[in-house]
Amino acid sequence: MNISIRQLFGRKPKSSSIAKQRLKLVITQDRLDVDDRMMMRLQHELTEVLAKYFEFSMNSVQVSLKHEGNSCTLVADFPYKKAHDLSVNR
Amino acid sequence: MGRVIVVTSGKGGVGKTTSTANLGTALALLGKTVVIVDADVGLRNLDIVMGLESRIVYTSMDVIDKHCELSKALVRDRRVDGLTLLAASQKNNKDDIQPAQMKAICDKLRSTHDFVLVDSPAGIERGFSNASAGADEAIVVTTPDVSAIRDADRIIGLIQHARIEPINLVINRFSPELVGNGSMMDQADVMDILNIDLLGIVPEDTGVITSTNRGIPLVYEETSAAAHAYMRIARRLTGQQIPIPDLEQKGLFTSILNWFTRKS
Repeated sequence: MNISIRQLFGRKPKSSSIAKQRLKLVITQDRLDVDDRMMMRLQHELTEVLAKYFEFSMNSVQVSLKHEGNSCTLVADFPYKKAHDLSVNR
Repeated sequence: MGRVIVVTSGKGGVGKTTSTANLGTALALLGKTVVIVDADVGLRNLDIVMGLESRIVYTSMDVIDKHCELSKALVRDRRVDGLTLLAASQKNNKDDIQPAQMKAICDKLRSTHDFVLVDSPAGIERGFSNASAGADEAIVVTTPDVSAIRDADRIIGLIQHARIEPINLVINRFSPELVGNGSMMDQADVMDILNIDLLGIVPEDTGVITSTNRGIPLVYEETSAAAHAYMRIARRLTGQQIPIPDLEQKGLFTSILNWFTRKS
């Protein structure tokens, strides 16, 4: 409540919530021993495989880590336009 | 059989040694027999924080090298019954002690004491593996800032890997004022990130500086906010159910004032 009123008046978010956000992200990566380069590679390879089956716009592809409590989830977003017609190859 | 608890933090300077000294003293004041072990070989400080620096004759290194009996190396704190210190050698370095040797010392000490508190050096290397070798519980000390919490998370991972549990958290140097105006993460934020049990919160207290200057742990004069916090934590360690008070300052006036004067 407090935050939304402040934001209405164009106030900056509290530095404590910025700290928490940044920490969550960096700790998720620390825990998994994952860095940006590896994430990029993963995204690239996943895209290669999925592109065989689906058609999607490359700009909207997103691979990220989500941190909740003690567990981490790998979230891959591939909004696809349509499936390729694979019957042709068979 | 006593409990061996390693006090650690990952990052240095968050109040690990101060916390060990005060918790050890507090437990002794509650009638427990306590030995505090300084595991920071080469950079010892517990002796001076406790005010016992002039009375150290033998160290854990002398015990390992069989220069003296373990019981002889323990320095008794004359201000309270049941409190002793096992100092670290200042002339050696961390590689001179093996984890197995440290474990042997802790196992011997636990047969004669209710609590063995091991003050771990900062860092995640040899010093930490030595300090935690004989421990069956851990207390992680952190301050509510990004670097300390990140390092705490790293050390928690190592402790879990070593199958030491429970792991309890102490949040040190907590500023109710800064939390109140949104410039410091509160306990819920820290717990959400680290996800271990909270043992207690110690408020920022200038008394810590003067007590360290004098070599008299704060809990001997139970007047300051930090001393009260350490006493409560010690009671929780003995199994008493003491609720963790909400330290955050969020009066209406402060809220209004903060709204106008706040700098995030």
